[in-house]
Amino acid sequence: MLYTKTRDARIYQVGIAIFLTVILLIIVIPFWQVIVTAFVPLDIYTREGIPFFLPPTKWTLEAFKQLMGHSQFARALWNSVVITVLGVTISMTLTVPLAYGLSTRNLPGRKLIMTLVLFTYLFSPGLIPVYLLITGMKLTNNYLAVILPPAVSVYNTLVMMSFFEGLPEDLKEAARLDGANELQVLWNVVLPLSKPILLTIGLFYAVYFWNEFFTPLLYLNRNDLLPLPVLLRNILISSSLNEYVEYNAFSTSPIESLKAAGVLITMLPMFLIYPWIQRYFTKGTLVGGVKE
Amino acid sequence: MKSWKMIFVVFVLVLSQILAACGAPATPTEVAPPEAPEAPAEPTKAPEPTTPPEPVDITMWLQATVTEAGPPPDDWIAYDIIREELGINLEYVIIPPAGDGEAKLNAAAAANDLPDFFQVTSTNRGGERDNLVNYYELGLVAPVDDMFAMMPERTKNHYNNQNLLDLLTFDGAVYGLPAPPSIPKREGFVIRQDWLDALDLEAPTTPEELLAVAKAFTEQDPDGNGKNDTYGIGAFIEGPGVGRRFNFVFGAYGVLDVWNFVDASPDKFELNVRDPQYYEAMQVMVALNEAGVVDPDWPTLSKDEFRARWKQGRFGIMWEDFAALSNKSNYEPFDTNFPDGSWTPLPALIGPGGEAYYGLDDAQFNVFAVSQRAVDEGKMEAIARLLEWIATDGYYLLGFGEEGVNFNLDEKGFINIDGIDEAQAYSAPERQPFTQMRNQLVFYNTLAEISARYPNYTTEGGREMTPIDTYLSFFQSQNWVPAFAKLLIQPPANAADFERFYNEGIIQFVLGQKELTPESWAEFLAGLDGQGAKEYEAAAQQVLSDAGLLK
Repeated sequence: MLYTKTRDARIYQVGIAIFLTVILLIIVIPFWQVIVTAFVPLDIYTREGIPFFLPPTKWTLEAFKQLMGHSQFARALWNSVVITVLGVTISMTLTVPLAYGLSTRNLPGRKLIMTLVLFTYLFSPGLIPVYLLITGMKLTNNYLAVILPPAVSVYNTLVMMSFFEGLPEDLKEAARLDGANELQVLWNVVLPLSKPILLTIGLFYAVYFWNEFFTPLLYLNRNDLLPLPVLLRNILISSSLNEYVEYNAFSTSPIESLKAAGVLITMLPMFLIYPWIQRYFTKGTLVGGVKE
Repeated sequence: MKSWKMIFVVFVLVLSQILAACGAPATPTEVAPPEAPEAPAEPTKAPEPTTPPEPVDITMWLQATVTEAGPPPDDWIAYDIIREELGINLEYVIIPPAGDGEAKLNAAAAANDLPDFFQVTSTNRGGERDNLVNYYELGLVAPVDDMFAMMPERTKNHYNNQNLLDLLTFDGAVYGLPAPPSIPKREGFVIRQDWLDALDLEAPTTPEELLAVAKAFTEQDPDGNGKNDTYGIGAFIEGPGVGRRFNFVFGAYGVLDVWNFVDASPDKFELNVRDPQYYEAMQVMVALNEAGVVDPDWPTLSKDEFRARWKQGRFGIMWEDFAALSNKSNYEPFDTNFPDGSWTPLPALIGPGGEAYYGLDDAQFNVFAVSQRAVDEGKMEAIARLLEWIATDGYYLLGFGEEGVNFNLDEKGFINIDGIDEAQAYSAPERQPFTQMRNQLVFYNTLAEISARYPNYTTEGGREMTPIDTYLSFFQSQNWVPAFAKLLIQPPANAADFERFYNEGIIQFVLGQKELTPESWAEFLAGLDGQGAKEYEAAAQQVLSDAGLLK
């Protein structure tokens, strides 16, 4: 019986390993193809397309040079950084008190507030009312037009709220007995214990604002305000219009390489941040999702 | 705990700094107050008679000519000239093409916040007119009839096509300015001449010969590299059904595109699929695909991938845009790979019924409009003044740059860059931001323009490449079916379902996923009727009859 169990366990483990390997390959192979595409030189591309393996001596940074050498690249990068930093800051400043307030069971009107919050989650106002609001507030050509509408994510708030609810009530009670008011409880007790969820939700917001594409197109008319995703998109869309364009702004790199390089450039910051906060990430989402 | 407080203090400081910097510095056009004080009069200089004393703020939303190049800088000389000579503070905004541009415009329209002057954009090819109709029905755009007299030179050169003006005329008034179409009839049927020569073949003249030549290109190693790595025909789907990249097949049967403009009459206007010859064309398509002579990836290729493949020598017969094929920057990779290679333009294939149509001349053109709000604010005259200036004094500046610095003008009025610094030449990448309006508001397809845009050059193999003479002129001289009235046809209410059924049905037959027989074809047509094809045809016939376009 023991042998059978062990054999079954082995088969199970092998099965899991094969399954995960397949999943890994499904993820890694396209990603590898994107990497090779970003570094393939023009002559190889035009001769044979995108190879699966590229000899190490043939790799070229030409696509990156072209994208990063664009006259607007530095400005667009800065705009993205500003939108991300400011967006995360404002979002966290608004989300944390809201989540904490809703996690307090004896909050007066908690049900009503929760209903109102959930209402916005279930019923989106749509594009036009938001546009009217933003233009009515004279926020066109202002980063706040991009940052304020999605500043509080209901989903993120609920996850954070759930995390706060899971913190031992005794700790908060002890602080209150010591004379702390609710803000002090939040600041001195809850937040220091909530690093995982703060970093997790902060990352969610950062990814959102970093990738923000449509709202800048809608509200930022001045090109010197546009963030990186919009610039990269403008560069890449040129390929579909090239029969009407007689002079190419780029000619030393395949358009496919520019696209792939654009993908890598855009994901790089998040790629670097993820491992750093990964240990908090799982904890943050799990603790927020499971309540004892 | 202290560290948290320190973080908070730093956080507040950073936030305050960022908030302060949030609104980036305004451009000069925005600095000017809405009602700027009257410019001081110069005692020694008489004021221009057409220039009002107060600068007018004009907001203009246009697509870019070269999207990746970005807008002109704030200190662009044209801004100064427009401000000083025309009395206009111009805010020039580049909007994205297609769907994103359409969403931006629609959002602005919904808020009654359309710019003073703008380019109408659409996700769908030819959908600009439909969007203009929407704006007109909402009362958001103004009639522009009065503007024509205010800009005589521009009207003469740009708005001289009555057919296009008629398309934008609603209730007797013109509501949109139709820019001259991008060079019409610019695509064509081409074949690898070096492959024909290598296999000692003649260019095909009928669908049967096309199959034979494509088969030879696929099976007889026309590039002589010893590998079985070529196909006869290359394509991708661009347009309804199999798209227009197979025009050379459908043209031989007189059934190009969706609507039958070849046999259109006041009594009969219907979908091409009803024509028995469409079935015959489909049989050819099936035969080509069954024979394996079409690059098998064609149903899923993107335009970029298709173009990469002909440059890699994957196939030897295709339908391509003349500039995408022969313009130096596009041709260069092919030239490098195949210095002795060349593409020869071919006339339309002749079908069994003797028909030989090349393509559909549906006259794509840009549409520009003036918002009703701008007219209400008294800006129409200023907009007309700006447009006229672009067509006259500003023509070269906005189209090519500064004479002597960015281009030269010879005695015949042709552009050249002899002796011009390479980085400063009008065609240099660095100069593209300065001529972003050229394809929208400046060019109107004169020979001098086209020659400057698509100059001759020498290939690696020492051949003289003449994009206009070799390709464009040839393509334009072929038998095209006039179909600009297509723009009047409104999509059916169930457009998404109808188009999906139509497109998927045709592709399935061509790829052999569904056997093409008279019965299965009749079944397909019955399915189309179930999707409301007959009502769609009746509505189309009605609208074209009402417009007097069915004769």
